[in-house]
Amino acid sequence: MAHKKEASPPKNPTANGIDGQEFKHLVKAGLAWLRRHQATINALNVYPVPDGDTGTNMVLTMQSAWEEIADSPERNIGLLAHKVAQGALMGARGNSGVILSQIWRGFARSLDQKPVYHAADLAAAFDEAADTAYQGVTKPVEGTILTVARAVADAAARAVKDTSDLTRVQEHVVFAAHEAVALTPSLLPVLAEAGVVDAGGQGLLVLLEGMLHSMRGEMIADDAELAEVGDLVASAFGPGQAGYGYDVQFLLRGEGLDIDAIRATIAEMGECPLVVGDADVVKVHVHVPDPGVPISYGAGLGSLQDVVVEDMEAQTRDFLAKPGSTPAADEDRKIDVVAVVMGEGLTLLFESLGVGAIVQGGQTMNPSTQDLLDAVESLPASSVILLPNNKNVVLAAQQARDHSQKDVAVVPTRSIPEGIAALLALNRQADLDMNVKAMKRAVKDVETGKVTFATRSAKINDVEVTGGQLIGLHGDELKVSGESPGEVVRNLLKEIGTEDREIVTLYYGDQVTEAEANALAQALSHEWPDLEMEVVFGGQPNYHYFVSVE
Amino acid sequence: MPKVEYAGQIEVSPTAIASIANEAVLTCYGVVGTCAKDLAAGLANVLSPESKRGIDVRIEEGHITVDVYVVVEYGTRIAAVARSVMNVVKYSIERAVSVQVAEVNVHIRGLRVSSID
Repeated sequence: MAHKKEASPPKNPTANGIDGQEFKHLVKAGLAWLRRHQATINALNVYPVPDGDTGTNMVLTMQSAWEEIADSPERNIGLLAHKVAQGALMGARGNSGVILSQIWRGFARSLDQKPVYHAADLAAAFDEAADTAYQGVTKPVEGTILTVARAVADAAARAVKDTSDLTRVQEHVVFAAHEAVALTPSLLPVLAEAGVVDAGGQGLLVLLEGMLHSMRGEMIADDAELAEVGDLVASAFGPGQAGYGYDVQFLLRGEGLDIDAIRATIAEMGECPLVVGDADVVKVHVHVPDPGVPISYGAGLGSLQDVVVEDMEAQTRDFLAKPGSTPAADEDRKIDVVAVVMGEGLTLLFESLGVGAIVQGGQTMNPSTQDLLDAVESLPASSVILLPNNKNVVLAAQQARDHSQKDVAVVPTRSIPEGIAALLALNRQADLDMNVKAMKRAVKDVETGKVTFATRSAKINDVEVTGGQLIGLHGDELKVSGESPGEVVRNLLKEIGTEDREIVTLYYGDQVTEAEANALAQALSHEWPDLEMEVVFGGQPNYHYFVSVE
Repeated sequence: MPKVEYAGQIEVSPTAIASIANEAVLTCYGVVGTCAKDLAAGLANVLSPESKRGIDVRIEEGHITVDVYVVVEYGTRIAAVARSVMNVVKYSIERAVSVQVAEVNVHIRGLRVSSID
């Protein structure tokens, strides 16, 4: 790229601009990063209503945006951005989600039908995004995500005067977002009272930060399935590794500073490095276990100003300890649900159906009573319904119920399809007893089949199987065997019976591809033309398919 | 509504509660104005941020019921905006006067189209 210094990253990978397919990676990384910080953002949520769901709402909104583009081959950035905006709009949840969708709307409108965006286009898009966001409210409140969106646009406009490197522009943008978020308590008194920064603003920052990670070629593992609701500190601030305990920022003044060398050195020290500036003044931001290291390094190069060191773990603990920041149990969340689920797709599915907390587990990995209890206690709701989704987990769930301080009921679902049926019957306005009754009724209407490998040779219920062969279970009973997953599903449907049934849903596991599952569903609908076949990605290990017959 | 204290009572009028609700609604994202309950008043009044005519507060047996008549920005997800309005109105009234709000009904009276994509 035309920029004069080309030291640490040898070439600018964004010199040709960013097209639709490249932008997909950024959106995905933004979503993954947002998801990783979801719990912290929830904990920050005190404004406008302290219901502790900002992080969740922003994740769900971005999830919807991602789903809109995940399979899109669109190369035109303008058209792809419109899809992102459309997805965000359709999935917009909560105040922060609606604002986020408006931000995307403005962003997309500005890019219009451009094939790629360059630095100037990006600055214009951020500007239109902020304008659109402000348009959507009569009295804009400063100290919120709106303020951050405006700061981002201003920073981008300034940055593109000096550089055309999109990664550099994004760094300036993220830096400005950091500063704007840090200022939110001084603009919005309710935040200062609670001792927090604005949750929505923080969410926007995290989203932009995730995109920056992707632009730098840093991978973000999408650990939706690993994020334990109760494990706030670890999930938020120690991504994968212990001890990234301090947020360090300072301004370094000197002469002939080599910004690329500084950037490389700081990046070695810790996470989320941000180094922007020129030969005379450099802004540094990094998360490190020992704040002394970057500060001494900086002091060796020039004079330091505006040094800020924050203990991030203590901040998180404070957020959680303060009564003001404890998410209030609002009307909608008097009743909540904890479900035991395994597999990426099923986790997302249960989340989208509104479970408050998910405990990872299933046939081969039963969660402990403690795991379940922790999940129950982590929810703000006073009444909690436990869905074990496996007969081996029912007992642990009942023990968790007996040990909890809350009003807990176990609906003894024995499979994922039963769990989903139960969840669909949830009515948050009704009390615990009513819900349990409704859920038990719903569970009765569902038959479950499972397809897996036989772990050993056996003869059960007149079905003879050899180890490694495929078998089909109706409920928990071995009923059929076969050579291919498709054959077993077919036999299972015959075994279960399809009289008076309407819908068959195939939740395919991590050993099955989407194409295989779709092909099977198509073949099945030829054989059973009266049944509606649905295919859902479950991602569960060990089981090729969970089959739900309703 | 009357609230018994040691000697005497505190009374908060529906108008005062409407002011609280109005303030909350107008800072609620997606809402670009409140408007009269009946549109007979004419479109000229629709986008008037100062008025409280778009808020209807009833107090019956200690329960507060609020009806909110709003204009929403075109292009936002209306259901999500309405849900936010419910939450924010309920929360701000309950915080201010410590009396439960039984119902918040949101009536979308129109959309404002400020830009077409």
